[in-house]
Amino acid sequence: MSADPVVMTENLKKSFPSRKGVVKAVDGVDLLVMPGEVFGFLGPNGAGKTTTLRMLTTLIPPDSGRAVVAGFDVLAEPDQVRRNIGYVGQNGGSDLPATGRENLLLQGRLYGMTAADSRARADELIELLDLTEFADRVAYTYSGGQRRRLDVAVGLMNRPRVLFLDEPTTGLDPQNRANLWAQINKLQAEGATIFITTHYLDEADVLCDRLAIMDEGKIVDEGTPEALKKEVAYDCITISVERHEENAAALLDLLEHKDFVLEVGVEDGHIRLCVGDLASGLPQLMRVLDGQGVAMETVKVVEATLDDVFLQKTGYSLRDLTPEG
Amino acid sequence: MKLFVDIGLLFKRKMLETLRNPVFIIVSMSTPIVYLVLFAPLLNKLAGVQGFAPGHVLNTFIPGLLVIIAFLSGLFVGYNMIDEVKNGVLERMRVTPTSRFSLLAGRVLRDLVNMTVVVVLFVLIAIPFGYDLNVPGFLVELVLLAMILITTSSFGNALGVILGDEDKLSPIIQGINLPIILLSGMLLPMELAPKWLQVIAHFNPAYYVVEAGRQLAAGHFLNAKVGYAFLFMVPFTVIVVIWATRTFQRAVS
Repeated sequence: MSADPVVMTENLKKSFPSRKGVVKAVDGVDLLVMPGEVFGFLGPNGAGKTTTLRMLTTLIPPDSGRAVVAGFDVLAEPDQVRRNIGYVGQNGGSDLPATGRENLLLQGRLYGMTAADSRARADELIELLDLTEFADRVAYTYSGGQRRRLDVAVGLMNRPRVLFLDEPTTGLDPQNRANLWAQINKLQAEGATIFITTHYLDEADVLCDRLAIMDEGKIVDEGTPEALKKEVAYDCITISVERHEENAAALLDLLEHKDFVLEVGVEDGHIRLCVGDLASGLPQLMRVLDGQGVAMETVKVVEATLDDVFLQKTGYSLRDLTPEG
Repeated sequence: MKLFVDIGLLFKRKMLETLRNPVFIIVSMSTPIVYLVLFAPLLNKLAGVQGFAPGHVLNTFIPGLLVIIAFLSGLFVGYNMIDEVKNGVLERMRVTPTSRFSLLAGRVLRDLVNMTVVVVLFVLIAIPFGYDLNVPGFLVELVLLAMILITTSSFGNALGVILGDEDKLSPIIQGINLPIILLSGMLLPMELAPKWLQVIAHFNPAYYVVEAGRQLAAGHFLNAKVGYAFLFMVPFTVIVVIWATRTFQRAVS
């Protein structure tokens, strides 16, 4: 395994004409993804994640800048790039009137693999992604989760040096999401390099070794999830108050409008709030609670989340934009 | 070499799809059979009239219907293309090293096989109704029909890729469908038309194929109309296929 980056971009840009003028979908993105990493792109819809991915996978040409994927320039050597990557788009890509196995075999042959090699690889992937039960059924009959696993298997057929997954769990129920995460972890354990886009905070947190937060075409921050969370310059605590059920709603409403409160919400039956600095924030919080005649029962300092990172970097919360579901 | 292998693979994929769901034969046969049974009898008294060949009236009518079969077999394939665009199938294949041309050619080839099956079946059905099959003429006619199919199938597929939405495709397909059919003389010979209609018909490639088909059905090979049909259809087919391939190349679905 080489230590050369699998994905490298320099000042990558792409604009689209729109009714409101030119939209800078991707506005100067620099990236470095190393072999064996699960690298994530986190951001809301329209942040430019998918557009970046489409440039890296040769589906659209960049306006300017450079992108080298698996050692080849996407503009100069698109065929070499294609040979060395796997891609699973937002809409999947499996051919529904065909069986899972037929999908895999065709994909292998399109990559120029021999029939025998394709068969062997298909068997391997059917095993790896737990497709055995339904591999010889027409994909129309698959559940959403089964279809997604087939999509991923198709993307892996050519033993790619990097697998691109665009919003892989969008539209899946929680159980199937967890299942796909497990599959991705398994691939990672086998040394695969995976480039994933997501607008789910928990997904980015669970899956990614390193991630880039993207907003309005730019990368606003980059690092391991842990490092990013440590960067958050404010403090977060969870509290519970006496007669919590009755008091929490009114309190939440009140706290939302206080200047010293940066963010407030309910989490696991506690009120979670973030303040600029605990030393000055806590006394102010106490005054508010006193004013309401409510006593605090528990208080605990908690780690910042990726959403806090997002909020600090962009000025808005990702959770507000994309309701989970 | 890889090009031919890929075309073969992609043809096989679509052909398997057809064989799993052979309803297409019934769907494709229904329109011409309805014409044969419910419309052709209206023409019986027109044998020998201007534009109609002497002998059975079907000898004039069937060549037109064959063009309708070829035309419709290709025109509506855009809907299936849109399904594949929406499911990400096309995009997935565009990230493989296969050529854009093979993505198109595999599909068109499948449509060509389907059309040939339907055309042959239909001609066999028409014989007991009184159609005099001229085998050599029919074989030449098949080449012309193939060009019609390749043109409409390439066009329909490319349109599906560009539009990516059934609601946008329908008005265009319907808008093209009827004028082309009426202005080709498929149903009634254009000799019956007033001069201005005849002039417009000369801009319709299908018109030449219909005219040539009637000559071929009568066994007239060395005929100016047959020559014109090839003269128009060969470059027309090439242009449409090149355009459709380019569209596949550029497609951002």
